[in-house]
Amino acid sequence: MSDRKRRIPLVRLALRNARRNTRRTLLTLSAIMVAVAALTYGLAHLTGIIGNLLDSYARLESGHVRIRHEGYTERERFLPVHLNMRRLSEMLEIVRGHPGVTEALPRIRLAALVDGASVNRPGLLLGVDLSREERYLGPQAMTASGRLPRAGSPEVLVGAEFAEKLGVGIGDTLTLLSQTAYRSLGGARLVVTGLASSGIPYLDNTFLIAPLDQAQSMVDLQDATTEIVVFADDHTHAQGLAEELRKALSPEFKEIEVLSWHDQGQLVRMLDMMQPILAVFFLILLTMACLVIVNTMLMTVMERMREYGMYAALGMRRRDIVKLILAEGSLIGLLGAVVGGVIGTLFAVWLEQTGISVAGAARAVDMPFQGRLYPDWRPTFALVTIASGVLAAALATLYPAWRAVRRSPAESLRA
Amino acid sequence: MPTELRHATVAALALWVSTATPSHAQLTAREVLDRVDANMTVTTARLTARMSITYREGDVRDLTFESWSLGTDQAFMEFTAPARDAGSRFLRRGNAMWIFLPRVGKSVRIQGHMLRQGLMGSDFSYGDASENPSMAEDYDATIERRDTLEGRQAYVLYLTARRADLSYPGRRVWVDMERLVPLKEEWFARSGKLLKTAEFGDVRRVGDRWYPFRIELDNALQADTRTTLQVLDIRFNVAIADEIFSLRHLESGS
Repeated sequence: MSDRKRRIPLVRLALRNARRNTRRTLLTLSAIMVAVAALTYGLAHLTGIIGNLLDSYARLESGHVRIRHEGYTERERFLPVHLNMRRLSEMLEIVRGHPGVTEALPRIRLAALVDGASVNRPGLLLGVDLSREERYLGPQAMTASGRLPRAGSPEVLVGAEFAEKLGVGIGDTLTLLSQTAYRSLGGARLVVTGLASSGIPYLDNTFLIAPLDQAQSMVDLQDATTEIVVFADDHTHAQGLAEELRKALSPEFKEIEVLSWHDQGQLVRMLDMMQPILAVFFLILLTMACLVIVNTMLMTVMERMREYGMYAALGMRRRDIVKLILAEGSLIGLLGAVVGGVIGTLFAVWLEQTGISVAGAARAVDMPFQGRLYPDWRPTFALVTIASGVLAAALATLYPAWRAVRRSPAESLRA
Repeated sequence: MPTELRHATVAALALWVSTATPSHAQLTAREVLDRVDANMTVTTARLTARMSITYREGDVRDLTFESWSLGTDQAFMEFTAPARDAGSRFLRRGNAMWIFLPRVGKSVRIQGHMLRQGLMGSDFSYGDASENPSMAEDYDATIERRDTLEGRQAYVLYLTARRADLSYPGRRVWVDMERLVPLKEEWFARSGKLLKTAEFGDVRRVGDRWYPFRIELDNALQADTRTTLQVLDIRFNVAIADEIFSLRHLESGS
């Protein structure tokens, strides 16, 4: 008899209790649901921001490893063309043949005076190998009108906003002046073949893209470049790859610096440092969500003190009452967390397709940040937030359950 | 020392100082500037000079140019060496400046941001080269003190720009009290920050004027380089055709 009394159908009782006051259950459930949905989407959003920055920085600036002349990084803000690397084709052969290298791209960055229709302005000329850049710089993808310049032709692709400031369009000719490798003044006249929109405002306002050979000829860099940007199979081994490339190149090329993206500037290191900060931020969000859940559960349980007194009066043991309250909280928590996780996931996946325009904010920052942000949802985000929601709901019932069972049945019935 | 002797010594020293100081030692700041302008500005002049840019690594780049000047408003400059820079030409008319590079084949007006860039990579900016060489026309001056520089007595003048569009709102100039040529200049930003220091040397007598044949310029914002301009030959009051100061001549060179 006593053994049969101990086998209480907790889940069935919990379900019945949950159904008994639908409004109260829905209130608790919705609080958990909103909290878990917000956490799921929030994680995808933050990951998207970091991914946006890292991806743009790697593709446009650093690569995973960048090879330049010794001392270039120190004077980078002057874009010193005289610090260049000769015997480019030999160097590329070594780098491209190295295991773990997906691509090695020569790029020439020039600070140029660009003379347009009636005004001239400072601009940033990128001389690139257009046939190899599509997966990285993506010149074709950013060409909004017209066409890409052709290698061997004095042609240029101009940022649409920059072209507007210069008062030029497709078919017009620009005159560019820049310091040469010998520190004298060089220049070129290039025909605008296309207007580009990268979505990165600091580029769209100042940049021009020309075939590598045109930039080389303009500043006396025949078979030479100011940098080689290297992309790795696995970017997490960028520092190891930089070391390997340094060794592979050192017998032939002495005055070079080979730096992984971690060592090139503050950005990647800063983003690395942001991971624990984001974890703390996530924990704060989780705590806030848990407090909402605890608050709701507490109200729900406290208003049912008489009911628990009744259970005790009917002979239910304290331990079983606690189990019942815990089961009810966990059940509602599971339902709310799963629905919330699904909603957060659907929202993140939808925005992964459409993106969010952050052009206004991107315009305000002087870093490679694309004007459209795409959240980066991963299954682990949903699993972690759902588990957190269930756990929070279950734990949140412990205190009110303890409060409920420490009173005598008579006290509870009077409550 | 007896009092009479002490007085006599002081009187003798005073007499020596007063006779050693040139007769124009009592000039006002405005008069000093006018006399400096009389030495440094020209009616017409033809000059050949070498510009040596010394880089932090120790290597030196020498460029040679010829220039023609008409009054304070018009100047034409053509680089003749090294071969890769030969034929690069500059024209200044008033505050406007144009550049022509043979490899580009088209003249470009230098304006805005470019005016702050170094002329052919030197510490002289295009803005420096395009400004009116007459200090008296553009600046108000006060005499701050007297000083001795490289053994020469000098007025130290502080110049304040009369117009907002000048490259240097403030200038401090050490002017040789005897020859009335600048010995040193410091050029300041509006904030008072020192931007450039110019030191003048190799002062020679040319006709009825003194003229510094060497200028060393140090750009405080560009620690990598130091530029020395050495005048190789200068002739004043030569006949120069107006046509030289035209855009057509800039592009054709003939």
